[in-house]
Amino acid sequence: MATNAQPTPAALAEPRPLAKKRLRPADAIFHIAVLSAVLIALGVLVWLLVSITISGAGAIDWNFLTGKVSTNADRAGFGSAMRGSVVLMLITFSVAVPLGFAAAIYLEKFANVTREQLLGSAHLRRRKLNEMIAHGESGFGLRRQRLAVRAAFAWAKIGPRINRTVEVNISNLAAVPSIVYGLLGLALFISIAGLQKSLLAGGLTLALLVLPIIIIASREAVRAVPVSIEQGAMALGASRWQAVSRQVVPAAFPGMLTGTILAMSRAIGESAPLIVVGGIVFGTQMPSISPLEANETPLFAMPLQIFFWAQDPRASFQELAAGGIIVLLVVLVLMNLVAIILRNKFQRRW
Amino acid sequence: MAPADSTVNTEPTGLRRRRRRPLEQGILLLFAAAATVSILVTVGIVFTLANEGIDFFRADQVNVWTFLTGTAWVPVEDQWGVLPLLSASLVIAGIAALVAIPLGLGSAIYLSEYAPRGVRSTVKPVLELLAGMPTIVLGFFALDSITPALHALGIVPEKQLFNALAAGIVVGILITPLISSLSEDALRAVPQAMRDGAYGVGATRRVVSTRIVLPAALSGVMAAIVLGVSRAVGETMAVTLAAGTQPNLSIDPRDPMQTITAYIVQVSQGEATRGSLQYSSIFAVGILLFVVTLVINLVAVRIVRRFRTVYQ
Repeated sequence: MATNAQPTPAALAEPRPLAKKRLRPADAIFHIAVLSAVLIALGVLVWLLVSITISGAGAIDWNFLTGKVSTNADRAGFGSAMRGSVVLMLITFSVAVPLGFAAAIYLEKFANVTREQLLGSAHLRRRKLNEMIAHGESGFGLRRQRLAVRAAFAWAKIGPRINRTVEVNISNLAAVPSIVYGLLGLALFISIAGLQKSLLAGGLTLALLVLPIIIIASREAVRAVPVSIEQGAMALGASRWQAVSRQVVPAAFPGMLTGTILAMSRAIGESAPLIVVGGIVFGTQMPSISPLEANETPLFAMPLQIFFWAQDPRASFQELAAGGIIVLLVVLVLMNLVAIILRNKFQRRW
Repeated sequence: MAPADSTVNTEPTGLRRRRRRPLEQGILLLFAAAATVSILVTVGIVFTLANEGIDFFRADQVNVWTFLTGTAWVPVEDQWGVLPLLSASLVIAGIAALVAIPLGLGSAIYLSEYAPRGVRSTVKPVLELLAGMPTIVLGFFALDSITPALHALGIVPEKQLFNALAAGIVVGILITPLISSLSEDALRAVPQAMRDGAYGVGATRRVVSTRIVLPAALSGVMAAIVLGVSRAVGETMAVTLAAGTQPNLSIDPRDPMQTITAYIVQVSQGEATRGSLQYSSIFAVGILLFVVTLVINLVAVRIVRRFRTVYQ
């Protein structure tokens, strides 16, 4: 709307008031559209929570929380499933966390070097080797040094590439559908390793499932600690390992723990891989809490029990399924709360 | 490669040589071993899928061609055409995308461009709660609430308890927070100066959002959508509960359908012994599922690399 009318001197002297912003219908419609996208998403969440509470609240009583599996809907309880989930989480935690933390620290602090850095240290070694030759040294020490030089150059060539591959690989693993982990667990732990279709096999499968999630989250926590902390320690004479293990890891620990809790909350609601590994069992015994008997205990878990009940079209079992979901969601909310509290309490800004 | 010069030693001398610490090196080796476990898991997945799946294709009743092009999946009659399972997975993922793209992208634009800070910081964690919802819960929700609602609206005939539409909607709900959170990250990464420039020449908020910010963040947004679809294809429990266990080559969303994942669950629930064709068939369809999701994920990576614009 360009006007080519010459402004009169009066108009120049006295600035016109800025045009009032006109509300265009397209803008208003777009605003309403994006706002309603959020409201619909939130509305669905509310609908879900309310409808499940209505369907399931009646099922929850003391007998439900402690009882065993039963074909009689009045007596059926969620207790064995809850105990099974506790054992599963213990197994998953104790396998995935050491592996995940170690891998994250290694990848972020020790493997994360550029080709130039590696080449630099390889040249340094070669210089030392040449010195040794110049000093007329011979025998084992020299041979060893020669080998070290060769290894250093080889590593400078392939090391960064391997590390990149590992990195891409971990992020790809995190996107593999969980049921594929179930197939892996079935073939690896049941067919090849010969385990029973048990809590042990299920827990190990879930450990493989959450491992990439834990590695990714812990790496981020380690990365958030400034390098200056580590450099300060090393300037005072600490070795790289001492600097990392006594300064970096303690500082990153709350973050690593938060990521771990979130990964465990993923594992506790996971059912597909457990069904593939262990099938749906119908056992009326209470699962043993002892980890030593985990290989003899059939696979009980909260999501499996919910699935079992949800498949039964009778209304009483639908109510039980909803009751189980309420328990599962309460556990999940508690785990998330712990993660949030940890994060808020220990989060440091550097 | 720079030649090492042995005659001129410029290194300052006198620094005490660092003591070698065998224990530390041992620990480091252990840590490196832990890092390679992730590689082993990948190798393990590929190896076990191939190893067990090969039995399936070795059987007389099937070969790769009839598996990939067959239009009937009736295991009891030895009909092993995977198309009904594959099409069900794709139809449900398609419905999920139709639900999740507008919702997820709309939420992302609202949270990144419109929402006041207070609203944003409360809505975001709540949406993440939806993202962390176990899929079995959403499956139950589909059976318990969405299918009855579709019946009441007359979209799905009353006799159809299981239908692809309810499954697709619920999977769409499941991936909405994923798409919204990844897209929002991409939108917020667009520098403020670009918005300010547009506002300076009189653009409205809608124009800034759709013509400036969205195109600038397109690679991230597209990657988010692709990852969401990949998640939808691999989704298991919600589709098993809501879409049923009846293989059906159909694109009518009102029909019951069995996806690849639902078939694996169905066989695992029964008593398929090792060595039977049913047992190896779940690995064969598992290979297909793994390949489909892997290709989708690689497409996402490619999109990010190809279309990424880096802003200072």
